[in-house]
Amino acid sequence: MKLYVHAISSFRSDREILDIKKELKQKYKVDIRRKEEFIFAGLLGAMRLKENISFLEDSELYITSGYGNIEILSKMNNYILEEGDNIKLFDFINMLGNTTNFYVAKALDIKGKSIFCISDEFTYFHMLITLYVSLLKRNNDAIVGAIDVVPKNPEVIKRVANIDNDIDVITSVMFQKMSLNPINALCCLEFDTKFYTFEEIQEYIQMTSLKIYTSMRCQEIQRQTKSYFETDISCIVNDSILNKEDCCYIECYNSRYKILKIMSQ
Amino acid sequence: MANILRSCIRSSLGDLQTAKEKIKSSEIELGKKEIQAIEGKVSLPYYSLSEKIEDTYKSIYGVLHNVVDELLEGFSQSQKERTAIIVGTSIIDWNSIHSIESSNYEYKRKPFSTSKRSIDSYAKDISNSFGLNGFTQTINTACTSSANALLEASNLIDAGLYDYVIVVGIEVFSEMMSSGFYAMQLLSSTTLKSFDTDRDGTILGEAIAAILVSNEDSPWKIKGGYSNCDALSITSASENGQEFINMMRNSLMDAGVTAQEITALKAHATATSSNDIAEINAIKNVFESSVVFTALKPYIGHTIGACGALEIALFMACIDDGFLPRTMNHKKSILTEYIPLLEHKECFEGTFMLNFFGFGGNNTSIILTKEQK
Repeated sequence: MKLYVHAISSFRSDREILDIKKELKQKYKVDIRRKEEFIFAGLLGAMRLKENISFLEDSELYITSGYGNIEILSKMNNYILEEGDNIKLFDFINMLGNTTNFYVAKALDIKGKSIFCISDEFTYFHMLITLYVSLLKRNNDAIVGAIDVVPKNPEVIKRVANIDNDIDVITSVMFQKMSLNPINALCCLEFDTKFYTFEEIQEYIQMTSLKIYTSMRCQEIQRQTKSYFETDISCIVNDSILNKEDCCYIECYNSRYKILKIMSQ
Repeated sequence: MANILRSCIRSSLGDLQTAKEKIKSSEIELGKKEIQAIEGKVSLPYYSLSEKIEDTYKSIYGVLHNVVDELLEGFSQSQKERTAIIVGTSIIDWNSIHSIESSNYEYKRKPFSTSKRSIDSYAKDISNSFGLNGFTQTINTACTSSANALLEASNLIDAGLYDYVIVVGIEVFSEMMSSGFYAMQLLSSTTLKSFDTDRDGTILGEAIAAILVSNEDSPWKIKGGYSNCDALSITSASENGQEFINMMRNSLMDAGVTAQEITALKAHATATSSNDIAEINAIKNVFESSVVFTALKPYIGHTIGACGALEIALFMACIDDGFLPRTMNHKKSILTEYIPLLEHKECFEGTFMLNFFGFGGNNTSIILTKEQK
């Protein structure tokens, strides 16, 4: 399966010091009322993506995340279940996964299919498969957003993701505009539905001439890392475009591997 | 083309067979749930699952496992290994709640878990338990979640990537969810009266429903569908139903059928003031002459993320039994010339439109056909 990336936007909290809320309000004149951090992150990705390109009205929107909007759940858990307070209307609405999609779609002026999806394992890969088969049917454009936001208490994410306590968790927002059309594409993403074994991955590593990046979950071929976010792969896609570097990314969960090839056009 | 092979549910009316019989005899089982509101504790009507379930991961997973076990009865291991799973839900992520509590409240501190968890853990655990192919995904698009999951499953089958996809809808009682609907003044204190001038809101319910999709031959075919994100505001469509009109027209186009070819329509029909007026105006616009339309929520409640899989399964079961279910509790329609089905109507086959709308502007329409063999 091949998908072509036509535009990107990136934000990582360990690379850029930014007050996202302030940036949205001052630079992009976005109405920030009744929203919160996860939605702000999505809007930042959208507004940056929108700077240089336009979108078809029926473009599809896919947003994924390693663990979703934990901060809003944490806030509501505290005041509703712990303190017995009443629910606040916009907290309830913001708790729903697709609320972020709604604001992002509005910001991009698109009205097509809009999906908020999470997979415990290979979340970005599975989203790519879903959007690929959808584009096959409608030959449409798709906007992809991968959002991981660190809540006020980062330990929550470490527990959800089951990562070591000494790892730094970071906020990341990576957006891409994709289609099946190779013309004027920045890069091509190649992937399949297969889960590879460790032996097959070892063989692939020996055979390929591509630079290899791996997820921190690849225990046997783990890269040294002190920072983490679940949708790391989406950052590798954007970085490889910015650095004009063909590469592949290997992800692993429970001894099952997947490969994404990122090839310049 | 993707076909629906089987379905299996747990609802306030019981399993699929029992629920269908109760719909036929218009027997409903409406319970009560208590929630915290500004004015204090409030007791509201609620469609609870007929079997006891708690709002914990373990309890929900137990019922889900039984449902999938029933759905895959007779499946060989080879078939299971060619099966993906997509869950649609707006349920609270209990794995995150446990992590939040363990991190934020010392007295609830628990050891770290041993694997990554998320809202998709239901799908992952089912996939691992039944030896499925490892493709798992959980879609959260509010009330359209499992309807969208069915469309995604249909795409995967049509592309030939997988031989089978299990589509699951899950929703169980959550005080947060019910309180949210109550705060928005969307809940009825009486009965759920779809498209009725006396409607006073929706009634929430619980369900776990699963549908098996494949390219294997079946009388039930997924002819087409359409999903979009278009709304006047994050919680409502325009009163004239323009957003729903666009979605229904695109759905008809995708399925390659005309409005006149639709045998009957299953409406979303939450019985809230704004949804029902927008929806009936859209129906009037798309089906210029008339159309047979009905609602299932008066029987089983609004099961939010599960309503797609649940209502599709129930609708198919009724047609398989030879009848279109009437819209229970309905007395006087919002639009005098567009009256939902008031008595069960004989129907064994046809082309059917099933609509679902959700917060966040998500609108989904699915067109199914049933051919009598």
